[in-house]
This record gives sequence, structure tokens and C-alpha cells, in this order.
Amino acid sequence: MIEAYFIHLLILIGIYLILAISLQLSIGYTGLLNLGHMAFFCIGAYASALLALSGFPFVFCLIFAGIMAMIFGFILAIPTRKLKGDYLALTTMGFSFVIYAIALNWTELTRGPLGIPGIPKPSILGISFSSNLMFLVLTIVVALLSYLIISRIVRSKFGKVMEAVRDDELSARVLGKNSFKVKFLVLGISAFFAGVAGSLYAHYITYIDPSSFTLMQLIPILCIIIIGGMASMRGTLFATIILVLLPEPLRFIGFPSSMVGPMRQIIYALVLLLILLYKPKGIDGKVEM
Amino acid sequence: MSILLQLLINGLIAGAVYALVASGFSLIYSTCKFIHFAHGAVIAFSAYFLYFLFAILGLEFYISVLLSVVFASLLGYGLNFLVYKKLRDRKASDFILLISSLALLILLESLILMSFGAEVKTIGFIEVSKGIDIFGAIITPLQIVIIAVSVLLLFSLLLFMKKTRLGKAMRAVSDNKNVAEIIGISSEKIYAWSFIIGSALAGVAGILIGLEQNLEPTMGTSLIIKGFTVAIIGGIGSIPGAILGAFLLGLAENFGIWYLPSGYKDAIAFVILFLFLLLRPKGILGIKREGDKEQ
Repeated sequence: MIEAYFIHLLILIGIYLILAISLQLSIGYTGLLNLGHMAFFCIGAYASALLALSGFPFVFCLIFAGIMAMIFGFILAIPTRKLKGDYLALTTMGFSFVIYAIALNWTELTRGPLGIPGIPKPSILGISFSSNLMFLVLTIVVALLSYLIISRIVRSKFGKVMEAVRDDELSARVLGKNSFKVKFLVLGISAFFAGVAGSLYAHYITYIDPSSFTLMQLIPILCIIIIGGMASMRGTLFATIILVLLPEPLRFIGFPSSMVGPMRQIIYALVLLLILLYKPKGIDGKVEM
Repeated sequence: MSILLQLLINGLIAGAVYALVASGFSLIYSTCKFIHFAHGAVIAFSAYFLYFLFAILGLEFYISVLLSVVFASLLGYGLNFLVYKKLRDRKASDFILLISSLALLILLESLILMSFGAEVKTIGFIEVSKGIDIFGAIITPLQIVIIAVSVLLLFSLLLFMKKTRLGKAMRAVSDNKNVAEIIGISSEKIYAWSFIIGSALAGVAGILIGLEQNLEPTMGTSLIIKGFTVAIIGGIGSIPGAILGAFLLGLAENFGIWYLPSGYKDAIAFVILFLFLLLRPKGILGIKREGDKEQ
């Protein structure tokens, strides 16, 4: 029993980690104030769920979920390329509301508020990942790969250009760097990983509905990247573990289950406020927003 | 014909409410220059506070209304004093203020959810009354009151900004904070006043919406989405712009759902928002901001 619970928490940590490091890529490293991350997560989850239900193999669904989200990332990047600061934040947030409204209303495709039940557990080359332990192994592999790829990106030459665009876009352009191209690629890559996380989430919970992809769900992720610190991969990893575990004691104190949800949100919101007020650089932040 | 008239009336009612939401939000934006999402939570809180005083404690209705507006005002002032002022003091960026206002929105909404539960509440002061028939379109007395109160308040707000000392000082800070400080206007004091007045408007909006529709813990979020859409359409920081944008959005939504399923009502707002952000980011009546020059 207690093992099953720990496995569940570890899977959540894996999924949140992918979401957080991919958001870190756009906010922390490139300074793109992207508040539409849940939209990519949502697109990935729905794409993967619908494909799997039509009989496609899991690996295809996972990759296609990422690509689908990436396409939307590119689509969002083109019109927003000139926006800055809070305008960009608002537009990306608006984008996530539009995606939410579509998920809720395009009932022929998404079944709207009823959600999509019975998403099959993954199986790769005949190996079934239907037990939670096996799913954990899968999540760890995907999370680790994502972590390594993103670490690689931020350490590469391209990563340096990203940071240059964040610190001083004008100078980066004076040095001949195409800042629009950088932003375009970063938003796409960031969306790709969010889509992959969405696919994992859909196949783990086996049920998705639009309510899993709201603004409320963005708060924990923002919390993670701010506590972890801007542009810090290690910090993000620590923060993910801490923040997934933080509200868990609530389960054992014996509050009625209707209270636990709002209390989790209160904890996340309070932690976020306190960190912004008293330790804005987070655990290991390189720069302040 | 009567359908068109009905859509027009519905659009005006929606617009009147959005205008109250957006004018407070825009007022705060114009002086403080950051996006105060928690404005939506202030609206929701005032509606729930009215519900608490009137439906649970059983206070006199008009006293409850007055107390709710005062409460909303104090809540806005408190948020500014406890959170935003501290962030400004250490020169936090606009993005940090924006994220903190998001956190406040979620915090306050969750508090409502915890104290009142998720189920829909009705204030129940006004019994369901028969609408008045105007050339085949229906409008209820409450809806007439909503439009009247909104127009009255918006008019007073414009007058206040134009004529009074405080209003002028607010416009001065909004135009150029540094110059305003040189001539002896304390910007912190103006920020506090913007929150007090803006939140009182939010309080009134909350009460009107609470009477017309039901109360839900998440009502603040959906309203503030409309609020900032309207603010951007009208030109963020411009109060006349916000009022214009509000009626425009109210009408666009109500005529839009004539063709589209009603669930897409929120999406209409965003399509308009996108179009404005892309084609005319400064809005209908907006002025260029300092940051825009860099582009």
C-alpha cells in the first residue's frame, strides 16, 4: 500500500519535472514569459489519448503528442514574436484559455466536459507498462531523457544565444543573432516536452477532461520554476521534488477530501507569494526575472 | 427584429458589467503599471461577502451592500499594502508583480472555495420577476438597475478623474511618475488610492453580478479574463477606452453566440484579444507605452 503511494508520487514528480524544465527553457533561459504552458500539456494529452484509442502504438502516440504540441508552439510563436513582458504573458495565457475552451466545446472530438475515459496503459514492443511500477520506470526514462536533452540544449552554443536574447535582445541582434528564430525554436521545443508530459499524464491517469488543464494547474509549475530559480536545472529538480511532496501531509491529517484540493492550491499560492516576496531568486537562480 | 433587439439588450447588460470590472482594473493599471489579476478575486469576494451578510447573517440588504463595497475596497487596499508595495519596494519587475497577482487570485479563490464550498449560491434578494417587454425583447427590472448603476458610476469616475485634485494627481502619476513626484505627488499614496477606488468598483460589480447570476468560487477568474480583454481592446490603462471596449465585447459576444455554440463565448473574447494584440496592441484609445519604443 505504502509502496504504491510512493510509486504514485514518483511518477507525479517525473511528469511535473518534464513540465517544469520545459517551462524553464522558455521563461528561465530565454526570458519568454510564457503562461500558456498548460495548453501544450493539454494538446499533448488529448492527441495521445485520441490516437491510442484509435489503436496506434504508445511510442507513436508519445512522439506525436510532442510534435502536435510543438506545431502549436510554432503557431503561437509567429504572432507573438514581437510582444514583450506582460503583453506576451497575457497573450500566451489567452492562448491557453482558447485551447481550454476548444477542449470543452468541441464535443465530437474531445467529448467536452465528460472527458475521455479508458485511455490504454502503454505497452512497448510487447512489454506492458500497465503496473504502476513499470510505468514509473517508463516515466523515469522519459524524464531523464528530457532532462539530459534540455541540459544539453542550454549548455550548447544555442543555449548561450538564448540567454543573450533574455539578457539583452537588442545587443543579441546587433551581434547578428536572429532573436525571432531563437524564440520560435525555444517555444516549439518547450511545447514539445510539455506535450510529451501530457501524453504520459493521459496514459497514467487513463482519464482526461478539460479541468486538468486550467490556470489553477499552472500555479504549481510556476511555483517550481521560481523556487528552483530562473535558469537552473538542478534547482528545478529539487523544487519539483519538494513541491510535489509539500501538500502530501494534508492527506494524512484527515481533512475531508473536498478541503484537500483548495488547501493544496492555498499552499502553492502562499509558497509562491512568499518566495516572490522574500527570496525572488529561488534556491539556485542565476538571474532574477 | 426582436431577436436582434434582444441580442442588443443582452450585449448592453454584459457590457455594463464588463465596464465596471474593466474600469477598476484599468484604473489600477494606469497608475501602478502592472496587471492586477487578483482584481477578479476582489469581485468574487465582495459577492460572497454580500451573500454572507445578507443570506446567512440576515442583515438589512442595503447595509449589507454598503459593507460589501467597503470590504472590497479594504481588501484591494490590503493586497496592495501587504504584497504589491513590498514587491515594489525591492524593485521587482512587472512580471513578478503579475505572477504574484496570479498567486493572489488563486489564493483568494481557494479561500472562497474552502469557506463556502463549490456549490453554486444565490443571494435571493430579488425574486424572479417578469421581464418588461420592449418591442418583443425582454429586460428585467434588475437588468435596468445594472445598466443604470453602471452608467452612473462610470460617468462619476470619468468626472472624478477629470475634475478632482486626486483624480488629476492619478492622471499625473499615470502619465509620468517621476515628474509627478517632483511636483510633490506621492506615488505610493496614489497607488493606494487607485486600489481603494478600483476595488470599490469591483465590489459594486461583484454585487450586481451576484444579484443577476449565481455565485461560484471561480467567477472572479472568468470575469478578470473579460476585464483584461476589454482593457486591451480599449487601450490598457485608458478608462474611457475600457468602457468603450466593454460594450464592444458585450455586444460581440452576444451577437457571436447567435452563430456559435454558447460555450465559445469566452473564446470570442480571446479571438478579439488576439486580433487586437497583433494588429493594434495599444488598443482603440491607448497611448504608446514607454516599452513599445524598443520594438
